[in-house]
Amino acid sequence: MLMLWLAALAVDAAPLKVAFIADPSHPAYREYGQALRQALAGDGTITWTEQTREADLVIAAGERAAREVENSSAPVLYTMISQHTYSNLGKAARHAAIYLDQPLERQLDLLEAALPQARDIGVIYSSPTEELNRLRKLAMARGRILHARQVEQENALAGTLKALLEESTVLLVLPDEAILNAGTIRNILLETYRVQVPMVGLSASYVRAGALCAVYSTPQQIARQTVTALVQFAATGKLPLSQHSNEFEVQVNRQVARSLGLHVPDAEQLRAQMRREP
Amino acid sequence: MRSALISAIAHLIATSVVAWGASSFAGGMPDEQAYWQELPVVLTASRLAQPLSEAPNAMTVIDRQMIKASGFRRLSELFRLVPGMYAGSQNGHSQFVSYHGTTDNFARRMQVLVDGRSVYLPPFSMVIWDDIPVLLQDVERIEVIRGPAAAAYGGNSTQGVINIITREADIMAPGQVSVAQGANNVSDLAVTFGQHSGSLDQRLSLGYRADGGYDIAVFNDSNRTRLLNWRAAYTPGGQDRFDVQAGYSASVRGDGVAGRNQSPLRDLFTNHDFQQLTWTRALESGNELRVQYHHTHSSFDDSQPNYLLDGVRLFPKVYIQTRRHDIELQHTVQWSNENRLVWGAGSRSDEVVSAALFYYKPAPRLQQYRLFAHNEWRVRDTLVFNAGAMWEDDGIGHRNVSPRASLNYHVTPHQTLRVGASAAYRNPAVIEEYGNTQPAETSPFAAYGGLSPEKMLSREIGYVGQFPGTGLTLDTRFYVDQLNHLIFLDPLRDANGNFNSASFKNMYQIQFRGWESTLKYQWRAQSRLIFNFARQRAACVADGAPTFIADPRAVAWFSGWLAQCPGMVPTNSGSLLLDHNLDAGLALSAGYYFQDEVQVLDALKPQRFMHRVDIKITRSFGKPDESGGGEVSLVMQNLFRDTHTEYSSIPQQGEPVLDRRAYLVTTITF
Repeated sequence: MLMLWLAALAVDAAPLKVAFIADPSHPAYREYGQALRQALAGDGTITWTEQTREADLVIAAGERAAREVENSSAPVLYTMISQHTYSNLGKAARHAAIYLDQPLERQLDLLEAALPQARDIGVIYSSPTEELNRLRKLAMARGRILHARQVEQENALAGTLKALLEESTVLLVLPDEAILNAGTIRNILLETYRVQVPMVGLSASYVRAGALCAVYSTPQQIARQTVTALVQFAATGKLPLSQHSNEFEVQVNRQVARSLGLHVPDAEQLRAQMRREP
Repeated sequence: MRSALISAIAHLIATSVVAWGASSFAGGMPDEQAYWQELPVVLTASRLAQPLSEAPNAMTVIDRQMIKASGFRRLSELFRLVPGMYAGSQNGHSQFVSYHGTTDNFARRMQVLVDGRSVYLPPFSMVIWDDIPVLLQDVERIEVIRGPAAAAYGGNSTQGVINIITREADIMAPGQVSVAQGANNVSDLAVTFGQHSGSLDQRLSLGYRADGGYDIAVFNDSNRTRLLNWRAAYTPGGQDRFDVQAGYSASVRGDGVAGRNQSPLRDLFTNHDFQQLTWTRALESGNELRVQYHHTHSSFDDSQPNYLLDGVRLFPKVYIQTRRHDIELQHTVQWSNENRLVWGAGSRSDEVVSAALFYYKPAPRLQQYRLFAHNEWRVRDTLVFNAGAMWEDDGIGHRNVSPRASLNYHVTPHQTLRVGASAAYRNPAVIEEYGNTQPAETSPFAAYGGLSPEKMLSREIGYVGQFPGTGLTLDTRFYVDQLNHLIFLDPLRDANGNFNSASFKNMYQIQFRGWESTLKYQWRAQSRLIFNFARQRAACVADGAPTFIADPRAVAWFSGWLAQCPGMVPTNSGSLLLDHNLDAGLALSAGYYFQDEVQVLDALKPQRFMHRVDIKITRSFGKPDESGGGEVSLVMQNLFRDTHTEYSSIPQQGEPVLDRRAYLVTTITF
């Protein structure tokens, strides 16, 4: 009822001028832009503009786009960027973000739903982050232990991973381009498979490669959440609080699960179970 | 040629080392790239091992930890860790491995694959274990299928399959040197390098392995092997992967008996080389296409000069060369939620050249064709139905279909019952079908030809149980395997009425019955106990008759083997492997191996009950797999000097004995 009223109010006002800029380097940003435009097509409250300077609101998708408008005088909604990147951005006049990454709680939800027995969570990283400390506390609160090992140089990866996998029952991937990339993933996955420790990945691509499962949000899901924020902004002139995507996907690599002898519920069941958890 | 090879290797080593040093830390990409990055499919369908509880056959996996804990130095010795398997050596010098006993050093009825490449030599139906150009350090795991598996592994998987899987080039392996020195001239050296850059990974291994054989002075059974193995993986994108392998080995093994004119002291020289290319393409939804080609070439050279005794030439110089080309296409397709199909086709050509074994008439080159399909149907979550078959044309004139079916029922998620039945064939070896040697030899062959393949019919009931929380797993099975049309020596009578040469004929039928169990107990990540036990019986009946059946000597010979048959399997055999990692870099392991008395086919008397205890103590320093780290191990074999004698096929000369022996292994990572 309230939403209807807000919408009605917005129709009377001048349309909101929204500038959209996106990192052109990956089709995901394009898909995101398309989903956004499609959802808003025919919505009279919004008009698109190419000029960020004359916009009432700028939507920046991806870090590269974010960097271009980080000192914008118009309010900026950063989307499709990680929480870590967002916290290091120069701040526009008013800003908020819809993150690409999953809240740590949700990743632990997935771990709990898929691998209830996995007590020892292994993580490798190249440089320490605040996130890691939070993860450690969250894991402990759920009766799990985080084993985090730093890889200081690339040729130490083999030994560090081996030692880590000896004490871990699952390897959780956190984004860290320096040590987790297309070049190293073969070694890492083969090593985890050899010692029969499942990997929880970051994306569908990880699951295809051989990770046991992953939780992630698609560009379409993030676009839907962006629309909600836009409508709210159009109506109230207020940006929402920075937030993670509410919607998410779960994928499971059944062949890997079977080969590791793990009885993992299917993706739908996992998703339902994760939603139930507080 | 040799110097060119050496300089090529030196170059490769140099570039590997440089590239290792130069590899730099990637970075500077936006954080979110991690989410959008296209990754190569690493754990492809053909790489993923089936869990024990869903496999259509009984299977034993020997992993790296077991290999390390055992302290064994030779590939063939590892099979003491498989229930029901016989690992031995003939007169000390020729290693062989067989399943269900009943063998001589020509262990004919088991397929042996290294990364999908058969190393079973069809001319003789045997494997020269010491010539496989693979370092133990490079073995990722060995899957031993107990029972016929022709539907999945092709022809000659009559009694079982040994599937040796080597470390992939992608596995991180910095440079490592390992040196072993010890009693009885044990002297091994292994050097491995690994290099990873972008889409190309490679590893290179060089090895030398030597010892003085068993502790018996009259046998010349020392051996030394040099080997080289190179593997590279090129992964240009997310979909394709090219795996290239090449290897070479050269062995010198002693043969002969002191003071025995018929078998003077001498060296056997064997060489083996192979090249292999595998292209794997990851298709949609976990499907996969794979094409594999390999070429192997081996030579066997008994250096003995023509030897005369009382003017009769006993042995011609035996020189044998074999060559094989093989190509196979395999397609894995998940065609419904519940069904996964693996199907494919292949062809192989086998050639053997030897003036000694094919004196009057050379052996033909055999071109073999095969088609195979195997489907896994998950009827329900608790029920898996595996069915498959292979059709093959062996190039000799036989066309066989080998079917297999099994049902795995998960009574609970951790308790599985399996029932299965399968058929498999062993095609006649080239020597059995075509062998013809000079009559002047001590044991000449004049093959009549026209043999039928041996046929195996196998039925089994198995149980796989895990007991979560206790660290225990149990894998057990009962089986009845019936081998029909067994090919055996057929004594031939010459013009003077003497039996001094032989052909081969389908003559016997053997039934093996038994049960096998593996119990594992793991109480820490690196600490476990593995107990294997097998109990088996063999019973033989006639399934044919010797050519000269009217001659009482032939009848006596024929029925003599029948009477001996039950003794050809050891009734009880097994092993116990304990592996315990103490803190502070100290690890202890111990192996106990035992085997009841067994009559090996060409031995004059049974091999006695054997048992022995081996121990290994390892002290590691630094991080063993990181630069500057390493370990030192002391291995003591037959610690308590228990009975361990191998069989001998030579009369009056005693048995090869394995006395207590110790050796020290030092490994350093650089």
